[in-house]
Amino acid sequence: MSTPPADDPRLDQSAATDDSLIAAHEKLLGRQKDDQGHYRLLPLGLLFFFSALIFGGGTYLGLFSGMFDPRVYDEHGHPPKAGAAVAKLDPREVGKKLYNNAACNTCHQVNGIGVPGVYPPLAESEWVSGSDERVIRILLYGLQGPLKVKGVDYPGTAPMPSFGKVAGSGYNWSDDKIAAVLTYIRSDFGNSSKPVTTEQVAAVHAKEGDRKAYTQEELLKLP
Amino acid sequence: MTPASSNAEVTAVDTQARWPLLLLLGGAIKWLVIAGVLSLIASIQLHSPAFMSHWPAFTPGRTAAMAETAFVYGWAFNAGLGLALWILGRLGGEPLRALNWVVVGTFAWNIGLTLGLVGIALGDATSFSLLQLPGYVQPAMLVAYGAIAVAGILAWSGRRTDSTFASHWYAVAALFLFPWLLSAAQATLIWTPVRGVLQAVVAGWYAQGVWSLCLAPLALAVAYYVVPKVTGRALPAYEFAPLGFWSLIVIGAWTGARHLTGGPVPAWLPTLAIAACSLLLFHTSIVLLNLRGAIGGAGNSVAFIAWGLLAYTAGGLLDAITSFRSIASFTQFTHLVTAQQQLAIYGGVSMILFGGIYFALPRLTGRPWASAGFVSAHRVTLLIGLALLLVSLAAAGWVQANDLNHKDVTFAAMAADTRPWLLGASGAQLILLTANLLLAVNFCRSVCACCCCCAESAPVGSPFRPAATMEAHAS
Repeated sequence: MSTPPADDPRLDQSAATDDSLIAAHEKLLGRQKDDQGHYRLLPLGLLFFFSALIFGGGTYLGLFSGMFDPRVYDEHGHPPKAGAAVAKLDPREVGKKLYNNAACNTCHQVNGIGVPGVYPPLAESEWVSGSDERVIRILLYGLQGPLKVKGVDYPGTAPMPSFGKVAGSGYNWSDDKIAAVLTYIRSDFGNSSKPVTTEQVAAVHAKEGDRKAYTQEELLKLP
Repeated sequence: MTPASSNAEVTAVDTQARWPLLLLLGGAIKWLVIAGVLSLIASIQLHSPAFMSHWPAFTPGRTAAMAETAFVYGWAFNAGLGLALWILGRLGGEPLRALNWVVVGTFAWNIGLTLGLVGIALGDATSFSLLQLPGYVQPAMLVAYGAIAVAGILAWSGRRTDSTFASHWYAVAALFLFPWLLSAAQATLIWTPVRGVLQAVVAGWYAQGVWSLCLAPLALAVAYYVVPKVTGRALPAYEFAPLGFWSLIVIGAWTGARHLTGGPVPAWLPTLAIAACSLLLFHTSIVLLNLRGAIGGAGNSVAFIAWGLLAYTAGGLLDAITSFRSIASFTQFTHLVTAQQQLAIYGGVSMILFGGIYFALPRLTGRPWASAGFVSAHRVTLLIGLALLLVSLAAAGWVQANDLNHKDVTFAAMAADTRPWLLGASGAQLILLTANLLLAVNFCRSVCACCCCCAESAPVGSPFRPAATMEAHAS
């Protein structure tokens, strides 16, 4: 047999057999008998490097993990303490946001003046600023039929929908949200009546349960 | 120097595995070329969105998904599996068993992938990066992978000596871990999807797992085998190789959540990923220490692996740096991330796999490569293309990141600003495609020469020198 050319560029000659490759490296791992004591400890440089990485990583985790709390989304945050005071939102701000979120402003307009002949105004309306009992029911359950606001008759062609968490409502707002929106409309558009609390809404909700929309006559019977 | 002598370079391990493994490697190179064409189309569509998009199958989102899928599941997996099986067989010292399963699995994998790409073209892609194959081909891919991997596991469990080598660990880890990743991702994302944000967390874990627990180990198995074989010296600092291995396997997949920085996930997830990215530098530095002999080493395969090793190290370092929130807020969602991915998967994994193919093919066919010029041309063209691609994408990403952080810059202005650099990236894709066509032609010529010689007569003399015995302390 002919001896192959020393350096054929079309292939890379192997310089070691597979068996000797395994054996030589196994020996380096110190797993086989090593008479000369060749194996070394982790060199100091590598040891320091790894320790520094672990130390840095651990510190970073401690600082920015939010104590591994699933409720912490900001890396600078801390998990909420049990019983800690939760920041209270201003119901007027919440109400304003809900009002303008294509819910109320579509009909009653951003400034609460409504549309003459179709949508009654909220601004300076006796229904808004007057009885708590009535206005809570209007928002919770809706209102159908003709209505007289500020001396003007509205034929009731566009009924007020139900917003509360009651049967037939497309909005399912919680009592919290109902109270917030009522508080807002009673404090803006030139109105200045006292706020409506969640407890008041909850009381009406519990008393009336699920029912159909109110009419003007039914509302006028209420205090 | 008879074939039976114990230190013959080509033995029954190679000759019996020849056709099944050539099937895997050939499939890999075929997909590499297809992925190159698709990447070119996807790249052109980044600056000229109307290009080819009158065909629904080639609209930008679909071409990008097809290019990524063909590259990862077509090229990288086929090549990585083929080389891993070959290395496990050679290190085991016995001819590979269950090779008919390899053939069946290879056909199933590649047919499944073809159907998957057609599915993506028809609009059935999932929305998860690196898991975009339609749900209906995914179970087939899992079974096909299992069929291919069996031969590797048998070669490992039936090895002649009790001792193992670093290539064993990395290859076997990849063979075992990928089915776990794919089945877990399928179960939680495709069949019974978890809710809301958790999907993004699982998808991030899977995409990182494919890279950290499968593609990177496959490539490292190749590098750890080829480098000492060619240089003939035991790997320096090899006693730390187990630490390097375990740090990758344990920490690797934890780094995936760094892409969720700023997202609606608990803060500890990205924080843990950022810390893991830094810890992984330990793995990267051990790999660099072990394989540093490749840099400046002689031979084509080692030259490829040296570049791959540099890209792998640079990629690890960049991952660690860009994972920090203050930097991620600049780089996230820009072409800079794409540049980093290309550095890792093209510069790192693929370069090492190329080196492995250049080393393995002459042993599988029993003959040298058809052309040495094509090998050098492939390497040079590839390096030029890759450098141009990385620079273009990084520059485009830089411009894009600056624009994104100014609220007055419109989307159209941003597209105009990045356009020159994206044109460069398209040019780079064209160069890369040309380079890989050189590999494909050389591969076909070499395999055809082998077919002819097998049909006519046995080769007159082996072109391989018998290998020497390695000394443990030669370094």
